[in-house]
Amino acid sequence: MPFCETRPENGAELVPTDNSAPHKVDLSSKIKEQKVVVDELSNLKKNRKVYRQQQNSNIFFLADRTEMLSESKNLLDELKKEYQEIENLEKTKIKK
Amino acid sequence: MEAPPGPGPHAAASASAAAPLRAPEVARLREEQEKVVTSCQEKIQHWRKVDSDYDALQERLGTLPDKLSYNIMVPFGPFAFMPGKLVHTNEVTVLLGDNWFAKCSAKQAAGLVEHRKEHVRKTIDDLKKVMKNFESRVEFTEDLQKMSDAAGDIVDIREEIKSDFEFKAKHRIAHKPHSKPKTSDVFEADFANDVNSKDSLADKDLWARLEELERQEELLGELDSKPDTVIANGEDTTSSEEEREDQNIGVHVAPQVTDSVTPSSCRVAVTRSGLLSGQTRGQLTCSMNGSDSYHSDEEDDDDGGDGDDGNENVRDAEGAGDNSVPTIYFSHTVEPKRVRINTGKNTTLKFSEKKEEAKRKRKSSGGGGHWAQELPTIRTPADVYRVFVDVVNGEYVPRKSILKSRSREDSVCSDTSESSTADFDDRRGLPRSVSCDEATCSDTSESILEEEQQESHQRKLPPVTGTPEAFSGTVIEKELLSPSFPPHPAMAHPVLSTIPERKEVLSGVAGGSEDAAKRVSKFKAARLQQKN
Repeated sequence: MPFCETRPENGAELVPTDNSAPHKVDLSSKIKEQKVVVDELSNLKKNRKVYRQQQNSNIFFLADRTEMLSESKNLLDELKKEYQEIENLEKTKIKK
Repeated sequence: MEAPPGPGPHAAASASAAAPLRAPEVARLREEQEKVVTSCQEKIQHWRKVDSDYDALQERLGTLPDKLSYNIMVPFGPFAFMPGKLVHTNEVTVLLGDNWFAKCSAKQAAGLVEHRKEHVRKTIDDLKKVMKNFESRVEFTEDLQKMSDAAGDIVDIREEIKSDFEFKAKHRIAHKPHSKPKTSDVFEADFANDVNSKDSLADKDLWARLEELERQEELLGELDSKPDTVIANGEDTTSSEEEREDQNIGVHVAPQVTDSVTPSSCRVAVTRSGLLSGQTRGQLTCSMNGSDSYHSDEEDDDDGGDGDDGNENVRDAEGAGDNSVPTIYFSHTVEPKRVRINTGKNTTLKFSEKKEEAKRKRKSSGGGGHWAQELPTIRTPADVYRVFVDVVNGEYVPRKSILKSRSREDSVCSDTSESSTADFDDRRGLPRSVSCDEATCSDTSESILEEEQQESHQRKLPPVTGTPEAFSGTVIEKELLSPSFPPHPAMAHPVLSTIPERKEVLSGVAGGSEDAAKRVSKFKAARLQQKN
């Protein structure tokens, strides 16, 4: 039974940190990851099982495919938003 | 993150920075502070992750009991999984630490997680505080660097504390009065004046003068009576050196000598000094007088020749005429004894009285030879013991050992505390100066005083220019002070000091035979001491 594992990227929220540059890089990589996840999930056959890894452990819980897809999509949106915000900030700074 | 860019420029700046603030060190300080900041950041990161993990766990625990069973992939090693079922959803084992686990429900586990999360948050806060603190410190060091770079505005102010030379000197001076009688204080004052005068005179001039004098003496007959006076001066200096005051005394004498070019004038000067001392009337002066006379006697003894009575007489006459030749002579030994006497028993008092008497006599008689009566002749080692006599209740008691100080034997050591330094020197000096032979002859020492007196009477006028005897108190002096042994003068003083209290005895001028050699040597010795 093929399964897809997704990792919740909650960590992204945790780092509203001071350093925009490194955070920005971090964010962009996360966004790339998330895009891949969304693509994979969206391309899965309907009978595929999806497991989700418990954070900081090696256990995978069976999850619903559609739910995971929507979840990951949401996450991707959030990341994108954040990224946008940072970019805007930088732009304004440069302008000033 | 900010830190990394900081250090580079900073280091450069430090290199070029002003020396006073030691730029490299400041740079290093800043580096270390930045290190702390970065490490704090890392730790905070780590703890945040832990916090997030706990968050996830808490969430999972909160929802775990919602279902009876979960389909999961069970890890089979790090890279292998097998499908499985999680059944006991409300049964959790919690790691308490050190591999101990507690079984509890999901809700309890969630509570535990909450507790731990609190701890994590606290840690994070602490770390944040530390980070802030160090960030401010980094700022401060930055400012400091900037200031140091700006200009030489900041100066390091240092005051160097010199070693306690002055203090030492003071201490010594202070110590002196305690050890010596009240009369000595007056004496000291005189000395101080002398010192000042000396200071005013250039030392070089002094020495040059002394050398000149030496030359003159050489030119003049060695057998002249004048040399005696010269000797007296030298002795004065030496004796003075032995006591701490001595330097002063020596100085005092020296200028006068310089003033008078010819020996006769020297003598006059000496007499003058003697008068001055007499005026002070201190015990010291008395002792000095006594010592002088004693010394002259001794010299006579040294000369040893029997037939020189006439010579001595002549010399005495000269002394009388000059009136002060004897006064000039200082016996080194006298002073230490005197100190002991002062501090010691009633016997000491008697001693001092005797001295004064002798002095009075001398003054009245003008340095007559009769004082010589009490003087002991040192012809054999045994005679040395006569020199070392303790006075107990007015009677002379021979010392068992000349190597020991009377005060110690008698346990009358009150003086030790006060005049300890002088006494010690003397005691030490005795063994050094006096040969061991003398020590061995202790048996003879018993009869000391009476014998001594008798002897003195008998040989009232000891031979001045006689052949040198096997042993004499002055012999040591000769050896040490003789030109052949110029470096040893320091040693000589202890020797002189060994010759004790007999000073009361004598009178004036000593034998002239030794004089020439002695003269030169004494000057040299004095000079050496001064240099030291």
